[in-house]
Amino acid sequence: MRHLKKRDTAAALLLLFPFLTFFALFVLYPTAVNLYYSFTDYNLNTASWTGLKNFARLFKDTTFLKAVRNTFVYAFISVPFLTLLGFFMAAALRKAGKWVKWLRLLFLYPYATSMTAVSMIWLMLLDPNHGFINKALEYLGFEGENWLFDTRLALYCLILINIWKNLGYCMLIYLAGINSIPAELYEAATVDGAGEARKLVSITLPLIRPVAFFVFITTMVDSFKTFEQVQIMTRGDPMNETTTIVHQIYVYGFGEFRMGYAAAMAVVLLLIVMALTAINYRLNMKGETEVYGR
Amino acid sequence: MKATSSDHVYKAATLLIVGVLALITLFPLLLTVSVSLQTMNEVYAHEPVIIPAKPAFSNYATALTTGSWLRYFKNSALVTLVTVLISLIINSMAGYAFARISFKGRNVLFALILLGMMVPTQVTLIPVFSLLRHINAVSSKTGLINTFPGLVIPYIAGSFGVFLCRQFYVSFPQELDDAAMMDGCGRIRAYINIYLPLSGPVLASLGVLKFTGTWNEYTWPLVATNGEKLKTVQLALTSFRDEGEIYWNLLMAATLTVSLPIYAVFMFAQKHFVSGLLAGSVKA
Repeated sequence: MRHLKKRDTAAALLLLFPFLTFFALFVLYPTAVNLYYSFTDYNLNTASWTGLKNFARLFKDTTFLKAVRNTFVYAFISVPFLTLLGFFMAAALRKAGKWVKWLRLLFLYPYATSMTAVSMIWLMLLDPNHGFINKALEYLGFEGENWLFDTRLALYCLILINIWKNLGYCMLIYLAGINSIPAELYEAATVDGAGEARKLVSITLPLIRPVAFFVFITTMVDSFKTFEQVQIMTRGDPMNETTTIVHQIYVYGFGEFRMGYAAAMAVVLLLIVMALTAINYRLNMKGETEVYGR
Repeated sequence: MKATSSDHVYKAATLLIVGVLALITLFPLLLTVSVSLQTMNEVYAHEPVIIPAKPAFSNYATALTTGSWLRYFKNSALVTLVTVLISLIINSMAGYAFARISFKGRNVLFALILLGMMVPTQVTLIPVFSLLRHINAVSSKTGLINTFPGLVIPYIAGSFGVFLCRQFYVSFPQELDDAAMMDGCGRIRAYINIYLPLSGPVLASLGVLKFTGTWNEYTWPLVATNGEKLKTVQLALTSFRDEGEIYWNLLMAATLTVSLPIYAVFMFAQKHFVSGLLAGSVKA
């Protein structure tokens, strides 16, 4: 038996070896190195220890603080919209029957489209001079806006685009949750004379809470990683109104090669994401989060 | 069971919400198609144009001859293909080991994988860049940066696929392993002869997700490549913007062309795409 066990371990190690090599070298090790860099003035060639200087700087860096603020605004608007709208759409689709497959396809295509393509499409729609939205507004007698070039509007445009892109994904997760609620519950409620609205409030809503929580955390984590649409559509402008944490990492790391400083920003990002994930796991342990069925 | 009047209100309300959202979702795509077929005069016209007077299909040819699109598509296709293939192999191997073989340290190792799954790639962007720059730095000053392996390696290091495969293999009954043992099958033979042939669903899901993720990736090619040699389609798309005057019709033609492979996969493998997304949402 012991001999078998040894052979098992050898087989496991052999099977794990290729993946673990890449994983250790390009995920684990870089995570640790990033922490080290954050205490240095690393600039791609040399790194000397500077202690907490980078972090002290971060708290006085008005652009970075603005990026943190923007990222939080981004998350705090995107997340409730995605969590609520996604739910209502899934609840509405519960009875769509054979249409579900097509509606699902329709709502999911923005999610499958690359952020690059999505950015291009919305740059076109929102172009102040030739974009469809302004043309349509002016055609209807309203005045057009500068959208992505307007300090008041730019961030909210990006948020709307984010919601547009990810709504289908949230709906999909909810739909799976709703479909796994036993049909007998709804039938029993019907027998008791409950209307559709009542069923939504008394059956679907309480049973879907764990799924809602999952969507909440996932969309929150995603919002904190926002970068591509910023880099492609606005480069953080106008006046840094749309810059985000990851965008600042990119600007400092690859624009100015002040990589130690950018690494400190990355540590902040990692801490936020880890905190969110920890909350998720904690509630998960209590058996709160579990997506029904598959 | 008679439907109450409140039910009618409910039904009308949901229909309205879904209808409006469907329209909002679909409209940008329809306009993208429309603009991709417009002439520049129509793009510049004061009134909004929805249906172009005479669809300018030549826009597609013009867009794709601006720059070396054949090369960009080849680059993206090759990067995606290699990433998908290697990921499928090494992730299913590792997933199987975690699911079916009990060995010392398994739980700790798997916890590490889960931990790695939550580290955003944006956090490791700088160290991975600098690490790749130092690998093979003898023959080239920038190491693996701006090389094909350098472009692919970070994609195959992600641990999501291992998680996905483990979830899949863990659901098989123990009897399957016992029977294999009886026949004198070692673990690796059991993996190759028994489990791998049954892995269709999970490999399809993982393949579709990896395909989409890699084809759509923007950030890593942005930092890890330079110039035309390894330019991917996503990067090429953004370069339309860098020129002074933007030819929106050409840009939209290119946007659709770049998205086409994804839409094709998505149309024909919606089932796998969806089941992959859902499996990823179930916690260990």
